Amino acid sequence: MGKRIFGDPMLSRDNSVACNNCHVKAVAFADPQHALSLGVDERQGIRNAPGIANMAFMKEFMWDGGVYHLDFAPPNAIENPLEMDEKMAKVVWKLNRNSTYPAQFRAAFPEMGDTITSPFVLLALSQYQTMLVSATSKYDYYKLGKGELSANEMEGLQLFKQKCAVCHSGELFTNQEYRNNGLDTAFADEGRARITESAADLCKLKVPSLRNVELTDPYMHDARFNTLEEVLDHYAAGVKQSATLATELHQGDFIGIPLTASEKKLIVDFLKTLTDYEFIQDERF
Amino acid sequence: MKKFLFLSTLLFGVLFFSACKDEEETKDPGTLEVNFDNIAVINNVQQQLSLVTPGSTDYAYTNALGQKFNINLLRYYISAIELDGPNGEHYHDHMEATASGSKGYYLVDESIPASQLILLEDIPAGEYNKITFTVGVDSSGVVNGASGGSLDPATCHMFWNWNSGYIAVKYEGQSDVSNGGVSGAETVTGDNPHGMAYHIGGWKDIPGGVFVYNNKRLSLTFDTVVKVESKEAPELHMVFDVIKMFGSHHNIDFTGNHNVHKPADGVEVAHNLEHAFAYDHIHQ
Repeated sequence: MGKRIFGDPMLSRDNSVACNNCHVKAVAFADPQHALSLGVDERQGIRNAPGIANMAFMKEFMWDGGVYHLDFAPPNAIENPLEMDEKMAKVVWKLNRNSTYPAQFRAAFPEMGDTITSPFVLLALSQYQTMLVSATSKYDYYKLGKGELSANEMEGLQLFKQKCAVCHSGELFTNQEYRNNGLDTAFADEGRARITESAADLCKLKVPSLRNVELTDPYMHDARFNTLEEVLDHYAAGVKQSATLATELHQGDFIGIPLTASEKKLIVDFLKTLTDYEFIQDERF
Repeated sequence: MKKFLFLSTLLFGVLFFSACKDEEETKDPGTLEVNFDNIAVINNVQQQLSLVTPGSTDYAYTNALGQKFNINLLRYYISAIELDGPNGEHYHDHMEATASGSKGYYLVDESIPASQLILLEDIPAGEYNKITFTVGVDSSGVVNGASGGSLDPATCHMFWNWNSGYIAVKYEGQSDVSNGGVSGAETVTGDNPHGMAYHIGGWKDIPGGVFVYNNKRLSLTFDTVVKVESKEAPELHMVFDVIKMFGSHHNIDFTGNHNVHKPADGVEVAHNLEHAFAYDHIHQ
């Protein structure tokens, strides 16, 4: 049922936009068509729609981490005028008037009572999203001892561990923290500071998971890079100094991450092993 | 036989007297009706609030800076109520936040008289002279996800999506000195020339964190004791004074930021809540 709601444009004001318009399964639930996703009336959002995978293991949600529990993520898209521009209360009203949803809800949630209420809608969406676990990539099979990486991919993995894994750490490839990665000197997006209201967090954004990163282009919160090569070029030679720049990108006199052309290529080879074809083809999703 | 009678009498007496003694000591738990009366104290006289139609330029109230204002909407959460007595009596309200409903989180709305009356039940019999409560909803109502009842994010009109959590106190209205331009409000639009919105929130009480915490935990002592037991039906009257909300610790200037939608902007009004809520009287 969560899957059904996720794909239902009834969630938007004019019944035109569903969650899966901008979170498309074929690209690990990111947006393949628009750098900044389009909502009702073709209105353009302010940040790139991130992929949805392994949500069950995340502490906070959205680029700025303003959402503290997965249940509270969908209302941001539903009620945002630039996205679905609908009121949660209206969504609940539409669901209750539908010919099949009420019975489906009552069967799924015996404790609910006769009428659909918003917490159960949000629970259904959360349950669907927590099902979306990506853990069957080439890299995962290598880790499980059930597959191998090529020599280049192995070399890329070693380089990645040395140069990237301080932030993109662990098996989710994110430390789940917020960093300014030196995109600009002046801040167009206040980022994490919008939530903490602290100048020390200006322009810091969530370190994204890199699972399925090959599929989730374009990159960065404002979708400025189209390819992984451009991203690595940025870290190698494009990082800009500012007051809140990540200390990880400012070691000694060097700003950024020292990377040669061949190292960049090897890291991209490794990143592509995180693509999970079983995940994006899973019939259940 | 005599001995048996004597023993029986003794046994009966012991049972009889211990029964009496029990009855004296254990009165049955009772209820307490807690009323939150929203008022404005003008020239030391309490006045019941009256709400106006959005956009109205009819101003019944004046803040400490002499700026006139009125009220379209006034709503706040009261939660985690506790009572204490001089002899160690203690009661805490049952708290629950699940999808099926919530308990112990009360949304008091000036436009809904029934919401201003909170019935506390199953209070251990005894005397109480202090009430403690939270203005707002703390992490207990947020970290476990979406809840129903008074916390239902679709119907409470007190939920911030972008910084997920509950607004503690929401005021909307007009002032003749405000130049409008309000956004994201329920009853005030951007073209309302004198509109004001003060949405006071911020629930992340994280030690050492940078987050602004605007919920207030208040303890108010009564000038007498309230007796609670099954045979009594006492009422406790609390008041919330909007004049003090805008002028006690801090005088809120309506010519300044009157479009308050984030924790840092609401700190001064939140601080004033310490004076805006007060004990008023008890009906035994």
